Amino acid sequence: MKKQKNSSFIFWLFLAPVLFTFIMVIIIPFFMGIFYSFTNWSSSARANFTLQWIGFTNFRTSLGDPTFLYSFLITTLYTVLNVVVINATALILALVVTSKLKLRNIYRVGFFIPNLIGGLVLGYIWQFIFNNALPAIGNAIPLLSGLANPENLILSKVGSSVAALVIVGTWQYAGYIMMIYIAAIEGVPESLFEAATIDGANEFQKFLKITVPMVAQAFTITMFLTLVQSFKQFDVNVSLTAGGPSAMFRNTPLFGTELLSLNIYNTAFIKNMLAEGQARAVIFFAVLVVVSVVQVTINKKKEVEM
Amino acid sequence: MKKLLIVVVIMVALMGSVFAAGSKESSTGKSATITLMQNKPEIDGALKDYAKAWNGLTGNTVIVKSVGGSSSITLGQQLKADFAAGDMPDIFIIAGIEDYKEWEGIILDLSNEKWTGDTSVAFKKDGKVYGFPVAVEGWGMAYNADMLKKAGIDPKSLDNYSAYKSAFEKLDSMKVELGIDSVVSMAAGPEMGWVTAHHNFNSLLSNGLPYGDLSVVNQLLKGEVDAKRLSEYADWVELLFMFADKAVLTTGNYDSQVGAFATGKSVFLHQGNWVDPNMKSAGATFEMAFAPHGSMHTATDGIFVAAPSFYVINSKSENIEAAKQFLNDMVYTTEGQDFMVNKAGMIPAYGNVKLNPSGQLSKSVQMWAGEGKVYSWNQYNFTGDFRDLTLAPIYNQFANGSIDKAKFIELMTNALQGLK
Repeated sequence: MKKQKNSSFIFWLFLAPVLFTFIMVIIIPFFMGIFYSFTNWSSSARANFTLQWIGFTNFRTSLGDPTFLYSFLITTLYTVLNVVVINATALILALVVTSKLKLRNIYRVGFFIPNLIGGLVLGYIWQFIFNNALPAIGNAIPLLSGLANPENLILSKVGSSVAALVIVGTWQYAGYIMMIYIAAIEGVPESLFEAATIDGANEFQKFLKITVPMVAQAFTITMFLTLVQSFKQFDVNVSLTAGGPSAMFRNTPLFGTELLSLNIYNTAFIKNMLAEGQARAVIFFAVLVVVSVVQVTINKKKEVEM
Repeated sequence: MKKLLIVVVIMVALMGSVFAAGSKESSTGKSATITLMQNKPEIDGALKDYAKAWNGLTGNTVIVKSVGGSSSITLGQQLKADFAAGDMPDIFIIAGIEDYKEWEGIILDLSNEKWTGDTSVAFKKDGKVYGFPVAVEGWGMAYNADMLKKAGIDPKSLDNYSAYKSAFEKLDSMKVELGIDSVVSMAAGPEMGWVTAHHNFNSLLSNGLPYGDLSVVNQLLKGEVDAKRLSEYADWVELLFMFADKAVLTTGNYDSQVGAFATGKSVFLHQGNWVDPNMKSAGATFEMAFAPHGSMHTATDGIFVAAPSFYVINSKSENIEAAKQFLNDMVYTTEGQDFMVNKAGMIPAYGNVKLNPSGQLSKSVQMWAGEGKVYSWNQYNFTGDFRDLTLAPIYNQFANGSIDKAKFIELMTNALQGLK
C-alpha cells in the first residue's frame, strides 16, 4: 500500500511541470478567452473605458460580417482540397518509399525535410518562386513564355492563390503524413500478401483489398491531422498571400484568401476588436471540434481489427 | 487520491509564485532603465547606438525595441500584447489621432517640455502637446531626373492630371530608348495596402487644400462624398495603375517596388523620402527629386509633408523624468542631433537643429517644405480598420483589373458613405 502511494506521488511529481505549463498556457487562457468573448475587452487605454459584459453581441456581429462568412467558405474549400491532395500525395510517396526502390531511405529523408522548415519561411520562399522564379523561367524559355505574362501570375488571382496555398501546404506536410503511412504499411503482415499472390491477386487488387483496409487506422490519424492542420492554417497564409488578392462577396470587397485564423487575427489586431476576434475563435473552436469528431467517428467505423 | 490532487495543486500554485516573483523585480538604485518601442526597423541600429551614447552621458539605460516593416506585423499589435501583459514600454509611438484615442488613458501631457518651443509639428490635442515628432517625412511622385531630361519633360510642369497623362504617354512610347519596364513603380498588392489605402488615399483627402485643412476629411467622415473630387481622384489612380508594371503592381512587395526605381526600370516611384537608404544601398546615383501628385485637374503645387509618428510617454511609467530627458537630449545634445540627422538620415522636426540629411529625396522634401509648398497627411483621421480592411481590397481589385473605374468609384463611395 505504502509503496503504491509512493509511486503515485512520483507519478504526480513528474507530471507537475508539464501539468503546470499546460494549465498556465492552455487551460487558463482558454477559459479567459471564452470569458473575454462575452465582453467589450480591447486591451487598450481608451478614455473612460470599463470592461462590460455584453452577452452575445460579439457573436452576432461576427456571424453578420461578410468577411467572416467568406473566410469560413474559403477555409472549408481549402481544407477539402488540402486533405485530399496531402493524403493522396503522402500515400503515393509512402508506397514508393516502401517498395524495393534503391536509395529509398534518402527519399524518405528528402520528402520529410520540408516539414522541418517553419511555415513563415516556407511561405516567403514560395512567394519568391511564384512571383519571381516562374516569370524568370518564362522569360528564359520561349516555350513557357506564358509564365512571364503578369496576367498569369499565380498569386494574382483568387483561384490560383488557393491552389498555391494547397501546393505549399502539401509540400510542407505530405512528408510528415507519409511517415505515418510508412509505419502503417510496414506493419501489414507479409503473409497476407503471399497468400493473395498464391490466390492470383494482382498488385492493384492487393493494394485495394489488403493495404487499404489494413492501414485504415492510419487514415483516421492522418485525416484528423490534415483536417485540423488545414483548418488552422495561419503562417503560410500570412507569408505567402497575406490574404490577397481581393475578391467580391455579397457586394463587399474583401481579402480573397483570408483563411479563418488570419480573419480572426485581423479582427483582433487591425480592427482593434480583440473581444470580437476572441468570439470568432470560440466559434472556430466549436466548429472544428464538431467536424473532427464526425470525421474520427466515420473513419473509426472503417477500421478493421487484426 | 484526493490528497495527492491537493498536493499537486499546491505545488502548481507554488511554482506559479516563483514565476510571479521573477517578474516583479523592482528597479532600485539611482540610474533608471527605460524601454522605448518604435516602428522603424531601418533606424534600429542607429537608435541603439545613440541609446548607448546616452547611457554614457547620463548613466540611464534605454532598451530599444523595434517592431514593424510590414502591414501584417505592426507596433500596434505588440503594444496591445504588452498592455495586456502589464509590460507597457515607457516611451512608445503613436501615428495620429486614432492611435491617440487608443491609448488616451496613459499618454502623458508634455506641454511644458523645452522642445515644444522648437517644433511646429508636435502632436497636439485640445491645445496640449502629447507627442514628440520623430522626424519630418514626405512623399510625392519621386522621379528620375535624368530620364525626364532625356524625354524632354520639365518636372516643374508635373502638377496636374493632364500634365502627368501626357508625360506618362510620352515616356511609355520611349520604353526601349530609356530601358524601362514601366513608367511608374506602383504597388497595390495585398501587403502594400499602406501605399494605396494610406498614402495614395491621402491625395483625395488633402491635395490642393491649405495645410491642416480637414474639410474634406470631416465631410467624408460624415458620409458625404464630393463626387467630382472622387472622380478626378479615380482618374489619377487609374492613370497610375495603367502605366505601372503589372507584376509589381499586383503581387510586388516593397523591395520589388523600390528596386524597380532604384535600378532604373521605372521613371517614377510612388513612395516617400524613407527610401533614401534603399537608394544608397542599391547604388542608385541618378538625380532624383519629388514632384507633386496629379490627383486633380487643377494644378496642385506641393507634396505631402508631415511628422509621420510621435514619441509619447507612458504616464504610468516609473521613470517619467528619465524618459523626458531622453527626448529632450535627442534635440539638444550633439549626440542626439547626430543620431537624428546623420545616423538615421531623418529630416529633423526641430528648428534648432542645423544639420541636413544627405539623401537626395530627403533634400527634396526639405526644399518643398522650405518653400511652404506642402499638403498635410490626413489619412490617420480614418481608422486602421477602414484603411487596411475596407479600402485596401478595393484598390487591389482595381489594380488586378477585376473592376473598372466606374465600379471603383461606386465601391469607394459605398465604403465612405458607410462611415456615417
